[in-house]
Amino acid sequence: MNGANPDSDGWWLVRSGFIAGLVVLLSLLLLLAVGVGSSWLSPERVLHALVGAGERMDQVIVQTLRLPRALLAAQAGICLALAGALLQRATRNPLASPSVVGVVDGAAVGVVLFLWLFSNEANALTVSIHFQPLAAAAGAVVFAAIVGLLTWLDDGGPMRLIIYGVAIAALASAIVTLLIILGPVFRASQALIWLAGSVHQAHWDDVVSLAILLAMSLPFLALVPRVMDQFLLDDDTAAATGLAVGAMRALLLLIAVYLTASAVSFVGGIAFVGLIAPHVARLILGQNAGPYLIGSALIGAIIVLASDIVARLILAPLELPTGAVTALIGAPYFLFILIRRGRSHA
Amino acid sequence: MPGHDRDAHGALAIAGLVIGLALLVLASLHLGLRHYAPWQVFDAVLRDGQGTDALIIRTLRLPRTVNALAVGAALAVSGLLMQSVTRNPLAAPGVLGVNAGAALAVVLGLSAFGIASLSALAGLAALGAMAATALVFGITLSAGASFSPVHVLLAGVTVAALLASFTQILLVTDESTMESLLFWLAGGFADRPLILLAIAAPFIAIAFLAVMPMTRALDALMTDDASAQALGVPIVRIRLTALGLAAILAGLSVSVAGPVAFIGLIAPHIARRLGVRGHAQFVPAAALVGAMLAVAADILARYVVSPGEAPVGAVLALIGVPVLIALLRSRRMGLQRR
Repeated sequence: MNGANPDSDGWWLVRSGFIAGLVVLLSLLLLLAVGVGSSWLSPERVLHALVGAGERMDQVIVQTLRLPRALLAAQAGICLALAGALLQRATRNPLASPSVVGVVDGAAVGVVLFLWLFSNEANALTVSIHFQPLAAAAGAVVFAAIVGLLTWLDDGGPMRLIIYGVAIAALASAIVTLLIILGPVFRASQALIWLAGSVHQAHWDDVVSLAILLAMSLPFLALVPRVMDQFLLDDDTAAATGLAVGAMRALLLLIAVYLTASAVSFVGGIAFVGLIAPHVARLILGQNAGPYLIGSALIGAIIVLASDIVARLILAPLELPTGAVTALIGAPYFLFILIRRGRSHA
Repeated sequence: MPGHDRDAHGALAIAGLVIGLALLVLASLHLGLRHYAPWQVFDAVLRDGQGTDALIIRTLRLPRTVNALAVGAALAVSGLLMQSVTRNPLAAPGVLGVNAGAALAVVLGLSAFGIASLSALAGLAALGAMAATALVFGITLSAGASFSPVHVLLAGVTVAALLASFTQILLVTDESTMESLLFWLAGGFADRPLILLAIAAPFIAIAFLAVMPMTRALDALMTDDASAQALGVPIVRIRLTALGLAAILAGLSVSVAGPVAFIGLIAPHIARRLGVRGHAQFVPAAALVGAMLAVAADILARYVVSPGEAPVGAVLALIGVPVLIALLRSRRMGLQRR
């Protein structure tokens, strides 16, 4: 895929430069995300408020409203992009994304059931909204388990996993549609916002919970690059290099499911980022798993964060669900590099 | 020779599908909010009977059944072509951006120009589908002369996501458009003007006929590019033609019935597991499976949220997924030979 020699020092330098550039871009976007909104805060005021030296009003806006929202968006982007990268590598399918293993639609079933069971005639929730992520996680785990069980019983390879995954995802999404039709109307609109994916209700609790979940996956993520590089080979060759193909594929998929379930529980079904961020990372940083994973994570965070900024601004004061605009941010750039890379390496 | 054995097995499976489809079509004419006796259906369809019942059967039941039949078959073959040409089990007609393009064109037509007649919307849908496919093909071709399947898929899903994003933004800004279009965006076979199908059906038939001579080349393409080339298959031309036909079939479907999901993805997977041999059997089997799924889903959609109608896409998954999983499982247990 990549024209440059992966071993040369020059390429290593270019790659580090790209990653440093992504980090800078992400930091700038974080500042911007905290700055823009119904009242504009200059970067200076944002920085003051962040360190606790700003005006009282600024501090409230930054610390309780905009900062958690921006952090949640970035974290969700990291989780989904990493999950997509692991899935695409483990199944060797460029169309694999967090939504194909049934996790996202499974979480949606959990949320819709939750909204349906725990709302009364006045359309008010009878339990705290904080249980919603738990319902989503439960749905995600149940449906992922069904897909995993079917694949395991089948002793099937990645092809089987994908077929079972899309089938179960289709079933889950049908259940969601029917539940929304049968359920009360007001909750249906809340469910629809969740389905599109949104960070507008971000709360520090969510940020901390997702950060802990993400941190717990880091030790595993640190272990996988070597395995992932072996997955670049075909199954037989990979096995010859000493890779326990089946077990390691299961591990990669398990981490992917875990990361997806963590993210969608808090932000809903933000689409596209898990599919496209790994491809962008692959095209600009190469196949080598270390930079590929880091790049995917950074690009994922950038896409979701930028999407949330656009979602707030494009029709202000009306707010769009973040997930509705991820393609708007990621697609043009991805098409651009797809065409450029295709031309230079055809 | 096991080869002849499998030929016969595949032919038997296709015969079974034809019978199954005929039964489902009959059931579709009889069942619904009101149930009719066979003599009533016979009277309405074959003897041009008068009266309310005959009118309902002839102007409502019959059109939606024929719609489901044609669109189901078209989507299934479209999905099969996509999956075979790209060698990717996740490929589906929607991946070419056809549905997203049609939806955007329809939403734009209604919200910007106030076009509301169903026939005009169908025309817009066809235009949008064509434009989206042209965009995907253009991007793929400008990314390299080899027309790589991976590039088609990636360009396709990206364009589809981009167009869907525009559609969603338009719908959020214009709620009245959303309400009046919800029925169209859900996709379905009922209450679609018959004239649409009358226009689309010949093209669908021509596309089917165009696929059949390609079946040997598609078989060869299933191996890998080098082997296919060694067998004398003009890879790029076959790939372009097959994807073009897939786009035409999907575009016609979305014009007639709106974006109906799942058939294009699932029908080829089901057909592949019925013991068919080669694309010469695989294509008709997939068309029959697609038609059966569509008619069955259309029948079930009348009951699930009765007296209302459930979205066909959702019901389709309820029927198709258990069938697919049962087939995958049964082959595993040795009930069917590979």
